[in-house]
Amino acid sequence: MPDQAPAVRERIRALLVDMHGADSFVSAVPDAVSLREAGVSSTSLVSLLVAMEDAFGFEWQDDVRPEALRSISSLAQHVVAVRG
Amino acid sequence: MAAVGVDIEPGAWLVWHPVRQPCGPAEQFVAGRRAVAAALTAAGSADRVVPRESDGRPRFPRGFAGSISHTGRVAVAVVVPGAAAVGVDVESAAITPRVSEFVLRERERRTLLAQYSARELFAAKEAAFKALCAIGTLGEFLFWQIELRQSEDVLIASYRGASVPVWVRSEAELSLAVAVSR
Repeated sequence: MPDQAPAVRERIRALLVDMHGADSFVSAVPDAVSLREAGVSSTSLVSLLVAMEDAFGFEWQDDVRPEALRSISSLAQHVVAVRG
Repeated sequence: MAAVGVDIEPGAWLVWHPVRQPCGPAEQFVAGRRAVAAALTAAGSADRVVPRESDGRPRFPRGFAGSISHTGRVAVAVVVPGAAAVGVDVESAAITPRVSEFVLRERERRTLLAQYSARELFAAKEAAFKALCAIGTLGEFLFWQIELRQSEDVLIASYRGASVPVWVRSEAELSLAVAVSR
C-alpha cells in the first residue's frame, strides 16, 4: 500500500490555506512544527479539525491525545491511523 | 496604551496593545510582550521580562502570575499579583455552529448559550485552560475538555477535579475572558 501521509499532509495544508489565504504564513509552516507556536489561533485550529472531519470522513474522539493535534505531520499520522 | 485595573478581580491589571502591520505572528508576539511589560509595571513588578518556556508558554516573574492573548489586531496581557495562576483569552473570530458544537458539550450549549455567546464560551474555555495548565498538575489535555457551568455571576471551569472562576466581557467585535486561580 502506498504511503498516504504525504497526500494527507498536502490536503491538510490546503485546508489551512483555504482558511487563512494563500499569502498567509500557514503556507510556509513546516510539517513538523507546532501549529499553535507557529501562530495558528485556537479558533483556526478547531476550524481545521472540523474541516478535516468533512475532508477525510471521520470524527475526532473526545479522548484524542493533544500531541496528535500538534502539527501537520501529527494530524496526518492520525488520519492515516484512523483510516486503517 | 494604558494599564487598567480590571473590575472582574481586585488587584488584576490589564493592558491592551495594538498589533502593527502586517499583523503576522511576529507582530502579534511583540504586541503581547509590550502589553505584558506594561501590565507588570502597573502591578509593581521590577522585572518586566517574560521569557518563553520550552513549551512556548510565557514565564512570569515570581509572585506576578499573568497571561497573554492576542488576535490579529490586538494583544492583551493580564497580571494578578499573588495569584496562583492566570489565564486570559481574547477572541474576535466568528464561532460557527460546527465549531460551537465541537467545543461545547450538549449541556453547555443548552444551559449557557442563552446567557453567553459561543465566542464568549470559547474564550472562557481557552482562558481557563491557560490557568489550569499553569497550575501544572493536570497533565496534558485539550481546552475543550474543560467543563463550564454557571455559578451566580461567574462561570466555573472544571477539569479532573480542578476548577477556576472565569469572567467574560464582550465589546464590539471582541470577547475577553479572564480566569484567576487563587
